[in-house]
Amino acid sequence: MNKTKDFIVEQLKEQISGFKAEAGEKTFGRVTEVGDGIARVSGLSDAMMSEMLEFKIAGGSAFGVVLNLEEDSVGAIILGDASSIKEGDEVIALKRILEVPVGDELVGRVVNPLGKALDGKGDLKTKKSYPVEKIAPGVIARESVKQPVQTGIKAIDAMIPIGRGQRELIIGDRQIGKTAIAIDTIINQKGQRMKCIYVAIGQKESKVASIVARLEKFGAMKYTTVVMAGASDPAPLLYIAPYAGCAMAEYFLDKGEDVLIIYDDLSKHAVSYREVSLLLRRPPGREAFPGDVFYLHSRLLERACKLNKDYGGGSITALPLIETQAGDVSAYIPTNVISITDGQIYLESDLFYKGNRPAINAGLSVSRVGNKAQIKAMKKVAGRMRLEAAQYRELEAFAQFGSDLDKETREKLERGRRMIEVLKQDQYVPMPVGQQVIIFFALISGFLDNVPVEKVRDFEASLLEYVQDVNSDLIKEIEKTGELTEAEEKKLQKIIKDYKDTLDYLESDKVKSS
Amino acid sequence: MKITAKQYGEALFESVSDASGGKVKEVVKNFCRVLKANNQVSQLGKIIGQFEQIWNKKNNITKAEIISALKLAPETEKVIGRYLVKTANGGEVKLSKQIDKNILGGVIIKHGDRILDESLRTRLAEFKNAIGR
Repeated sequence: MNKTKDFIVEQLKEQISGFKAEAGEKTFGRVTEVGDGIARVSGLSDAMMSEMLEFKIAGGSAFGVVLNLEEDSVGAIILGDASSIKEGDEVIALKRILEVPVGDELVGRVVNPLGKALDGKGDLKTKKSYPVEKIAPGVIARESVKQPVQTGIKAIDAMIPIGRGQRELIIGDRQIGKTAIAIDTIINQKGQRMKCIYVAIGQKESKVASIVARLEKFGAMKYTTVVMAGASDPAPLLYIAPYAGCAMAEYFLDKGEDVLIIYDDLSKHAVSYREVSLLLRRPPGREAFPGDVFYLHSRLLERACKLNKDYGGGSITALPLIETQAGDVSAYIPTNVISITDGQIYLESDLFYKGNRPAINAGLSVSRVGNKAQIKAMKKVAGRMRLEAAQYRELEAFAQFGSDLDKETREKLERGRRMIEVLKQDQYVPMPVGQQVIIFFALISGFLDNVPVEKVRDFEASLLEYVQDVNSDLIKEIEKTGELTEAEEKKLQKIIKDYKDTLDYLESDKVKSS
Repeated sequence: MKITAKQYGEALFESVSDASGGKVKEVVKNFCRVLKANNQVSQLGKIIGQFEQIWNKKNNITKAEIISALKLAPETEKVIGRYLVKTANGGEVKLSKQIDKNILGGVIIKHGDRILDESLRTRLAEFKNAIGR
């Protein structure tokens, strides 16, 4: 008992001796105008851009950030509750840039953009904080993308692969599964040495709560942080949310870890920035967005990176989401973000309502760097898949005009239909890469050609079970070495043939030799 | 085009400095008439504020304020006075003193738009922040 008391006293002493009071002149000003999360402050003659301000209010202080420097006043956004700030209140310039707490303590928590806990699990005791705005790593520190992010979604891992350090946009209309892709990807990161950060910008709090519950159910909160700026939060908080999330990611990056960050979604972020800008009386441009919306997103997404060994070798993979209105990708914000990112996953409502879920349009979706990051086994099967998918799309449009098609064309169409079926996947069931390789191998080797289209999904599920039972090492081996050798191919062919002999629903009229 | 309080202040300053001696009263009276004609009487508070700022700037006057918990000793006041004169760069210093029990101890010195907060209350708050980590 006495010992612990001494320890506490010692600790306190240390803290007291370490405490240095900083005396020094500071600049102060007075609030001349306040409202809508915005304040105009007179005085503050040497305030700097993005400097933090302290508003002295009755019984404490509120914080703001300088966003506008004018001739004799300063425009600032207020972070948090602005209701107690009055005209004439004193404002002090703090001479530092806005920072958020970072650290391992944040993992598994739900926080607001300022790093305050929102999940009722007690205060965060972080030791470090990082600036919210930071210049992205330069050319010297970077390296090309070469490791895969396994999303566990067949259509993405095969045709639009994502690499660690890539920025891949997920774009589509409302309610067709953009967030679902992001959440599935987080769930599939279990055991992949990946930290995840989900930034919810302007989402309904009920939706975020259900996402957190889902992640918890699948054990994904063990490596995930949720940064939430809800729909009821003021625009300034929404505006800084993605930057704050990125700062939290940079902590892990600096430790040499891989991070996946999801910005859900950047359309709402742009809208909140528009609100702030218009209130600060910046001139509106196209769609009333200010002139620097491009920079708003480019400086955020540029912070996604893959660092080389000398700089720790960590990475930040960014998955921004953009909501389009009635499939219009040529609006201002979508075109901006498409041009910034290294590719996009384009979701289409037609496909979604037809039952092709995830509703990924393989034609319009691209990944500009990720295919370098695929494992060899996947490359082997996916290359063929991409080709066949392209041919199928071409023929499908063509085949609608006539029914008299030659045998080759018919076969391609049949193969394509089965491929579409294989690429369908339910929510919350990401598939490990080894299993994906096996089913794709079966498809491109023609084993599925005599399976009725409506039976393809059953076939797939039971085939994987069968492979697991007969030769469980095979999948493990593929995942471990990342390769599909000739010998393994032979083995696999035999297993699939054996399995097919047990089935009774195969279409016998066009048995194919493989 | 809307005329801002700052523009009114500048106009008033210029006309006042042009007018000599007894004419100042006349100018101010005329200024009030213009305000009334423009329906801007409600702006008067702001205009006076602006005018004061311009006046102080043009005449090289800094306004300074000392807030203390207790009445300051004459020596301390002298030291602060010297400090203020030094920072004012040869200009005139208009000093006002205030006593505020709420700051517990120490002083807060404000001059121009600078603030030197040496109050016990602020120190305690900073200390609380440092310990609370």
